[in-house]
Amino acid sequence: MLTYDAYHRPTSLPEALRLWRDAPEGSRLVSGATDLLPAARDGRLGDVHLPALIDLTGVTELRGYDFANGHVALGAGTVYQDFLTDPVLRRALPCMPYVSIWFADDQIRETATLAGNLVNASPVADGTPPVVALNGLVELSKLDGDAITSRRVPVRDFITGPGRTVIAPGEIMTRVFLDTCYGYGGAFQKVGQRRSLVISVACCAALVKLDESGRVFEDVRLALGGVGPGPIRLDDSERMLRGEPLSEELMQAAAGLAAEKVASRSRRDYRRDVVVSFVRAALSEALSNAGAKAPLQTMEDMANV
Amino acid sequence: MSETRITCEVNGRKVARTVATHKRLLDLLRDDLNLTGTKEGCGAGECGTCSVFVDGKLVKSCLVPAARAEGARIETIEGLAGMGPLTPVQKAFHKTGASQCGYCIPGMVMAATNCLRLNPEADIDEIKERMGGNICRCTGYTKILEAVEIARDVIAGRRPEGDLDTDEPLGDSFIGHNVRRIDAPAKVTGRLRYAADMKLVDMLQMQVLRSPHPHARIVSIDTSVAEAMEGVECVITAADVPGKDGFGVFVHDQPIMARGKVRHVGEAVAAVAAEDLLTARRAVAAIKVEYEPLPVIGTPEDAIAPGAPVIHDYAPDNVVKHIPLRKGNPEAGFAEADLIIEDSFSTQSVEHAYLEPEAGVAFVDHDDVVTVHSPSQNITHHRHMLADILGLPINKVRMVMSAVGGGFGGKEDMIYQGMLALAAIRTRRPVQLNFTREESLIASAKRHPSKVSYKMGLKRTGKITAITFDMLSDGGAYGMSSEGVMRKAAILSCGPYEVHNLQVDTRAVYTNNTPSGAFRTFGGMQAQFATESMMDIAAEALGMDPFELRRINMYRKGSITHTQHRLDRASLDMVLDAAETASRWESGAPNVRGAARSDMGGPDTRQPCTLGARIVAEAADLSQGDHPTKASTEAAE
Amino acid sequence: MNAITQTSADTRRKRGRGMAASWYGIARTATIDRAGAWAEIDDGGTIKVVTGVTEIGEGILTVLAQVAAEETGARPEDVTIGDNDTARSPEAAHAGATRQTYMIGNSVALASREARKMLFEQIAEHWDTPEDSLRAFNGEIWVEGSNLRMTLSEAVAICKGRGVVPVGAASFTAHGTGLHPVDGKGSPWQTYVFGTQVAEVEVDTWTGEVQVLGIWAAHDVGRCINPRGVEGQIEGGVVQGLGQALMEEHICEGGHPTTHGFAKYILPTALDVPQINCIIVEDEDPTSPLRAKGIGEPALVPTCPAIMNAIYDAIGVRMKSLPATPEKILAALRMPPGGGARITWNNRPAGETLT
Repeated sequence: MLTYDAYHRPTSLPEALRLWRDAPEGSRLVSGATDLLPAARDGRLGDVHLPALIDLTGVTELRGYDFANGHVALGAGTVYQDFLTDPVLRRALPCMPYVSIWFADDQIRETATLAGNLVNASPVADGTPPVVALNGLVELSKLDGDAITSRRVPVRDFITGPGRTVIAPGEIMTRVFLDTCYGYGGAFQKVGQRRSLVISVACCAALVKLDESGRVFEDVRLALGGVGPGPIRLDDSERMLRGEPLSEELMQAAAGLAAEKVASRSRRDYRRDVVVSFVRAALSEALSNAGAKAPLQTMEDMANV
Repeated sequence: MSETRITCEVNGRKVARTVATHKRLLDLLRDDLNLTGTKEGCGAGECGTCSVFVDGKLVKSCLVPAARAEGARIETIEGLAGMGPLTPVQKAFHKTGASQCGYCIPGMVMAATNCLRLNPEADIDEIKERMGGNICRCTGYTKILEAVEIARDVIAGRRPEGDLDTDEPLGDSFIGHNVRRIDAPAKVTGRLRYAADMKLVDMLQMQVLRSPHPHARIVSIDTSVAEAMEGVECVITAADVPGKDGFGVFVHDQPIMARGKVRHVGEAVAAVAAEDLLTARRAVAAIKVEYEPLPVIGTPEDAIAPGAPVIHDYAPDNVVKHIPLRKGNPEAGFAEADLIIEDSFSTQSVEHAYLEPEAGVAFVDHDDVVTVHSPSQNITHHRHMLADILGLPINKVRMVMSAVGGGFGGKEDMIYQGMLALAAIRTRRPVQLNFTREESLIASAKRHPSKVSYKMGLKRTGKITAITFDMLSDGGAYGMSSEGVMRKAAILSCGPYEVHNLQVDTRAVYTNNTPSGAFRTFGGMQAQFATESMMDIAAEALGMDPFELRRINMYRKGSITHTQHRLDRASLDMVLDAAETASRWESGAPNVRGAARSDMGGPDTRQPCTLGARIVAEAADLSQGDHPTKASTEAAE
Repeated sequence: MNAITQTSADTRRKRGRGMAASWYGIARTATIDRAGAWAEIDDGGTIKVVTGVTEIGEGILTVLAQVAAEETGARPEDVTIGDNDTARSPEAAHAGATRQTYMIGNSVALASREARKMLFEQIAEHWDTPEDSLRAFNGEIWVEGSNLRMTLSEAVAICKGRGVVPVGAASFTAHGTGLHPVDGKGSPWQTYVFGTQVAEVEVDTWTGEVQVLGIWAAHDVGRCINPRGVEGQIEGGVVQGLGQALMEEHICEGGHPTTHGFAKYILPTALDVPQINCIIVEDEDPTSPLRAKGIGEPALVPTCPAIMNAIYDAIGVRMKSLPATPEKILAALRMPPGGGARITWNNRPAGETLT
């Protein structure tokens, strides 16, 4: 059971930062609150009492998004459902709709934020691999006197371990910067015991861009989640494919490199098997979504939908 | 406890309440506005029973701080139809029989309503995705999905609205006629009140202290701090039980709270009744128990190993029940066999997962009758046991079966009604206990995990000549229904086949795991999983179609069962024929011929789920401009 | 293009089919079973039924309303069923053991018949006609082969005007016997049901995921009271069976449960359910008034083995330890093919293992 003595719902960023700076030790920030409320239950954290809960859902500065210099700057209030319903975001971030559809369910996607998913730094978070693949940076803001100061940290450096980040006292994540990937095909792979509302044992995000011929990998982005303490970018696999013509052997070889990245001690054999398959499947699906000519595997998938 | 003033609009009406600051939107609706159509199934955003609209968006109200509702527009199940006729979604649920226990149904109706509001043209795959956050344990979803498709077509004008109210014409009998469920309107509107929805004047809330140890001696329990807390009306332990403590479906080996020792994690040790839930939880946390851990039995094999610790003094061998069946001469039967197959099978512990967690209300009435309302599957037996436990004449104990939000056998055990009754007697006030989902998982019985060692002899003709079947089941910490489950497992063990020579043994043993008890099929499923797997292994070895092998051995009129009961009739031939015909079964031995079959992928199957139905559909729409022709888009679908 | 993904499509996802048969007994096992009920044909031609145990979601209230209506001549919507209350209603034992339609249905049928008999006696005298010439259905009562006809409501008023309240009470018994302690000999039930299911699955050999695409479920339920209700029981049973087959597992490690909530205890959702094709077979029970049997529990017995047999058909691995999770399927695929059963042919070398 979650209890708290004070609840604040600031409406502006300065107000939020001030509340957060002045909040008593042990207070918590929430956005969706879809992680905190389930955590404060028997079998997990048990009853949790907080001096104050600061709810960021009313902060206007955290809403919406902007484009600049090949980036989209997402307000930290961006919820997963936005990636499914907003056509502008769908075009700019072609892997995100697939991530979203695998993330929880329609109800939770309405309130759960990408930023919240990053801050919680769960090793099995769906949101981190695609952000890593999109060269994500997070903007952390705090009050310096009465002025707001911000710093930007690459997501790969932001998450330092399970539940651990470099966020400092008084800081609030205000924006997430992601590469816009127009013309890329995106994909997301996840497996669990069922196909909805399930925490994955491993997941993989992929983005693929083809050259004009449609037969050569112009760019490839691959990242894994759930196989180690933090998300893993598959740089080796990407390098192996970039600039090369499409071929089954090459894709398989690139996928094979992923097995070495599995650091989780639990269920390691399974995870090694699965990530190789995931990378193959994600590449294949992303290729299809990138408009590769008749990639039969995924055409079959599409027909099955 | 700090309080917050919340003003918002609920179902079109302005409401203002001052509530405890930490409440969730779910609590505001249920406790303060008495809108109990919104149910709590898990409290962790996993089941969807608490779904409500906030400013037009469907959310899970167990994950929303109540204070966030300030100024918001909220719509609950009660608001869909309001005082008017049922909505098309509700009518369609009524029409198709989409509600069974009804506990998930308000959430399902909300999710379906949301789906059709967002996309009135949603196809079946999108409907499934949009309802993927809502769990139902009764219906298998099929009639729910059928209802959503009917409602969609009515809303889209493709189907006359009158269809929702009309049914097939009545013939000359109500038997065999699809009479609509008479309880459906109460369920699709959220009007039906379950035990957790009950509110009585002056009612206390109970919380339970549960064991953190699988097996431990209780050295001492100190309730003094808890009892002294403001708002605490009573703290009870086994020492307060006035009569002969002990309940169970077959053997009364379980005290209503741990007596002397705990035997599984989650066992009730003490309970508190207080003015409110939070006070009760804080009082529970203030009870001090000193335990002396005892050796733990974690598997049924450990339970029967020589020198194993003893869990119940009355059963020094840790055996709850052994059921033997003996028929014919198995040795001779195996000697006669052309083929002998040996294998072993195991099944897991399974949770009933009814969407309604255990809940109940107890009070002592004006005639000194101790009354307990709870979703009990066996009020008759509970009354007998509770009268003994309380030391009361049987007519001074009254059990009322409240609306049951799913049972499947899991609500046959009297795991909390005793504590409620005792607290009601102690306080002379109504007392309510609503389990959390976590409590329900940890304290209620499970399906028996089982291991079966199987040996089957057959002739080349396929005729079974002998079977030995040995099942070892984990009964967990208490007897509950183990005896009956072992009996049914034994009776059904070797399947619906006439076997002249058999030796069957089923055994349930005590361990320090969560107790096992009654669960839909009562041992029949575990046993027949093994038998039906063996039948296919045999069919492959014999090169025989699996239907054929079963027909060779099946019970017929006059067959003698495994318990030597002569059958006056047997319909296995009828159901084998029916399934074979309906599935267009292609005959052949079960030798991994999936790739070669031509009877698959028919119109009576679904397409594999790939997720993203709406992305594909919308991508096709979005890319209209990029593609030279519409045809190419359609081709891509 | 391209050979790349064509190969993948052929090798990645594999389909197969399996079947399983089953049997089950109706009502309490290896013991005598009993249930009591009271019925009254009430003012306005409505019916009051009181019995000790009813609805847990299976639809028994509706079945009882149909039965009481059928037996008294009322309409199902005119039937009110009283609370399940040990102090206010007759014992009907418990809600389980696939006994509701059979035990309580029959006791309600018998009690309703008694009430109808009291009503018919009075109406027969009123119309001066033999009692066995009376018929009643759907809110009306009439004399067969005549134009004498009135509403049930009018009939109740006449009956009461003659000083009689038409009521009935009944008990229904199922005569199971205990098992012999040494050889288990006994007659545990007086009626049995049988079922057969076929499953069609697709196995993703890359991830180990299994999707069940179709189930054909043929079950004998005796005389079917409410076909939609029976389908609902079959569909629900199949999906519980599917959950046990593929995903559900309550885990205790050294006595410590680790599946604390629904985030860890995985249940099937709408996305997991196959198309379920129900085939209701009616082998009527000649020994009981309603001739019905039951379906609640039997529906899920064959699902799990049918799915495991289908997985074997698809990929040649026999899943003998439930649930068949993606992880277990992949692990099994890494093992040598075959089921691993020990198969011995007489007149052949002993110990030959099935491959």
